[in-house]
Amino acid sequence: MKKILVVDDEENIRLLYKEELEDMGYEVTTAASGDEALAAMEAGKFDLVTLDMRMPGLPGIETLRRMKEKDNSLRVVISTAYEDYKHDFGSWCSDAYIVKSSDTTALLETIKKILG
Amino acid sequence: MDGLEKKELTILSEISRISNSPADLGHKLQRIVNVVAHGMEKEGASVFLIDPSGRNVTLAAAVGLNQESIGRLSFPLGTGIAGWVAEQKVPIALLDPYSDPRFSYVPDSGIGRFRSLAAAPILDEDQCLGVIFVLSSEPWSPSSSDITLLSTTANQISGVIRSARLLDSIQERLSELATLYEIGMAITSTLDLDQILGIIAKNTSQILHARGCAIRLVNLLDGHSSVRTAYQAGEENMKQLDGLIGQSVAEKIAAERRAVVLEDIARSDFARTDPAIEPCPLMGVPLMYHDKAIGVIILYGTDDGRPFTEEDLQFLTTISGTAAVAIMNAVMYDRMEALAEESRSRASELAILYDIATAMGTTLNLDRLLRIILTAATMGGAGLGFNRAILLLVNERSNTLQGMMGVGPSSWEEAGRVWSEVAGRHKSLLEWIQSGEIFRHHDTEFNSLARSIRVPLSPEEGVLALTALERRAFNIKDAASDRIVPRELRELLRVNSFATAPLVVKDKAIGVILVDNMFNQRPITDGDIRFLSMFANQAALAVDNAIIHTNLEAMNRDMRSMQEQLVQSEKMAALGAMMAEITHEIRNPLVSIGGFARRLASKVAGEAEKKYIDIILREVSRLEGIIHDNLAFIREMTPELKEDDLNGVVEDVIELYEDELLQRGIEVKKELADSLPAASFDRQQIKQAVINLITNAMEAMPDGGVITVASSYRSEPCEVVVEIKDTGPGIPADAMHNIFNPYYTTKVRGTGLGLPITHRIVKAHRGRIEVRNQDSGGAVFAVFLPCPSKDKTV
Repeated sequence: MKKILVVDDEENIRLLYKEELEDMGYEVTTAASGDEALAAMEAGKFDLVTLDMRMPGLPGIETLRRMKEKDNSLRVVISTAYEDYKHDFGSWCSDAYIVKSSDTTALLETIKKILG
Repeated sequence: MDGLEKKELTILSEISRISNSPADLGHKLQRIVNVVAHGMEKEGASVFLIDPSGRNVTLAAAVGLNQESIGRLSFPLGTGIAGWVAEQKVPIALLDPYSDPRFSYVPDSGIGRFRSLAAAPILDEDQCLGVIFVLSSEPWSPSSSDITLLSTTANQISGVIRSARLLDSIQERLSELATLYEIGMAITSTLDLDQILGIIAKNTSQILHARGCAIRLVNLLDGHSSVRTAYQAGEENMKQLDGLIGQSVAEKIAAERRAVVLEDIARSDFARTDPAIEPCPLMGVPLMYHDKAIGVIILYGTDDGRPFTEEDLQFLTTISGTAAVAIMNAVMYDRMEALAEESRSRASELAILYDIATAMGTTLNLDRLLRIILTAATMGGAGLGFNRAILLLVNERSNTLQGMMGVGPSSWEEAGRVWSEVAGRHKSLLEWIQSGEIFRHHDTEFNSLARSIRVPLSPEEGVLALTALERRAFNIKDAASDRIVPRELRELLRVNSFATAPLVVKDKAIGVILVDNMFNQRPITDGDIRFLSMFANQAALAVDNAIIHTNLEAMNRDMRSMQEQLVQSEKMAALGAMMAEITHEIRNPLVSIGGFARRLASKVAGEAEKKYIDIILREVSRLEGIIHDNLAFIREMTPELKEDDLNGVVEDVIELYEDELLQRGIEVKKELADSLPAASFDRQQIKQAVINLITNAMEAMPDGGVITVASSYRSEPCEVVVEIKDTGPGIPADAMHNIFNPYYTTKVRGTGLGLPITHRIVKAHRGRIEVRNQDSGGAVFAVFLPCPSKDKTV
């Protein structure tokens, strides 16, 4: 079973993504901040991370950089309310950039495609 | 002393006494022939004199012959005894002259009473002056001492004639001098040219017994040698003669600077043009002044028909010298008078212009300035004194002349009232301005008439446009028959004569001033036009200053408003940033609401519940749409300009929407220009703008239709254009002016930000967007983008 880490400071979104992804048959762990996410990565290996950009504490871009330092093969899907980060070159090492929407189809389709 | 010597002495002493007497030559000769006849104890004696022409001998004094023959009896040289002696210059004695073949018998003379004669030439050196005869009624053979006595007597007579002739010529010279002096006095007594010419013509023809006199003067002012001014005096037919040939004779004399003397005009070259010319002599001399021919005097005909003599010519030449000086003096005096008059009027004009300039300097307010200018143009005394004046300024944007202001009474009554008011007060222009009086009463009928004038600046529009285009004044004397005066202008002004002058600054016409004298009908003179032009030049400078000042003020205002806008946009930027933050914050809870509602939808079974969840989902996605559009609107729109091909962008967008358009039953027609000039634009932004317009067109046609996408370009200014037409219902009139307002929409759904975003994009490119409804229905949106140069194509 593929393991996914959902990183978002919004509790409801963590819950929404967890349930949707579990419905699709993934094992989902959640983290409420960049630091929590990095700690989770210490504890175990993940196939994919959904990463919010604007979070209190460690910013999304910095979290992404540190994650990639630990595991360069890690697949990352950025999920954010901001369209602007698309042009931030730090985000270019992610696999996809999805603007958050109540319709999660685009996010789920993308993850499914990446994980095969 | 014998008898002969005594007789001889008596005769000679008598003759010498006679020669010293004061009598004239005729009387002296008469007394001499008496003395000779008496002294030689004969019944007759006579003296013949040779004419000045030298061709004839004529009886000058006689005793024993008919006195009527004196001055009449005449022989050609070589004919008769008198003619023979005069020619041979030898004495002769004839016992029977009647048998001598040289003798010519003239019965009337009384010679028939005499039987014999002796004659001797009267010689002066080699020249023969005449012949003396002694006549005897008895046959007589004179002794050699008789012949000697006759010859000696002849010598004595020669002295008498010589001294008499000398005296005559002295007297003649004196009288000539006196005449010349008189003429000189007469012609220098006045400086009036006509009077001088009159005196010269009258005196000259009188003294020289001419029947007519003409004086022609070279036109001294234009420096050409053509002879122009003519003065004629004398008989009417002589004046006509001068009219026929005077000009060509005068031109020849003036050109060659030499006298012309003709015995008979009719036989001269000058008569060739007209065979009807009356035969008469002519004499003409140039009027020389400092080696220059300033004119000619020509005399026509003589009282007795004789030709003009060498003496006549000399006399005329002498007179012409004095006349030339007098004429030149008069001409110079005239010119100086004219110059003095001109500088007097110039000085007064300059004084007026100075006052006007001072007055114009009191304001930089265009409206006030125009009023001052027009008041100055219509004020008597301190101004130009026209009845009415209109000022028009060039509008460069529309390339027209536009009436700005008119000053002048609207009716006779008003004219009378205003002018008597003004005349009563004697105010200067400055006083008028200072009192503020001239700035009142703006709304006259004439002013609104003036302000209604609009004339395109092209030559066929007539006098107003021409004044500006050709930058010169016009004096229209008969508007009705003048091709350059349009009927409309004539009907507007209701005058038949007026004048215009351009307002020129730095070789550019900035306006036109029109003046007329509608009420007092005073004709507008060339002097008025010159003054008006000077005034217009000065007014032009003042108007230009005022316009520059106004522009500076406007620029200042623009700067201030731009500064305010800048502050405003900074505020907006801050507001935008805050809005963006809030919008993003809203997005997260929407994701949760929508996401869980969707999950719920798959878990509930009731129809009502499904319907409610559906409502939640629709409203959430609507909110998300609003957020998306808002963020796009808030985002900074500084375009990244690159030279690109607009057609390419349009093709891209059509391709992008091909499927969707097909699905909606909308046909796309492409009318793209073959090659467009390159324009500088931000490809992404313009693409967005075109997308928004296509989307807008699609949404206007829910039941399908045709979208026409056309591109084109224009020169001056160079612009590339893309037009998007639909076949929808068009834009309602009340929505037209709101169409680019953010947050305004006629659509049931959507944020209404599509067109405002397009508008902002186009504005950020310094372009413009135009919208209109087609007559055939449907809306047209046209986007104009500036291109850097028209000869570059992609």
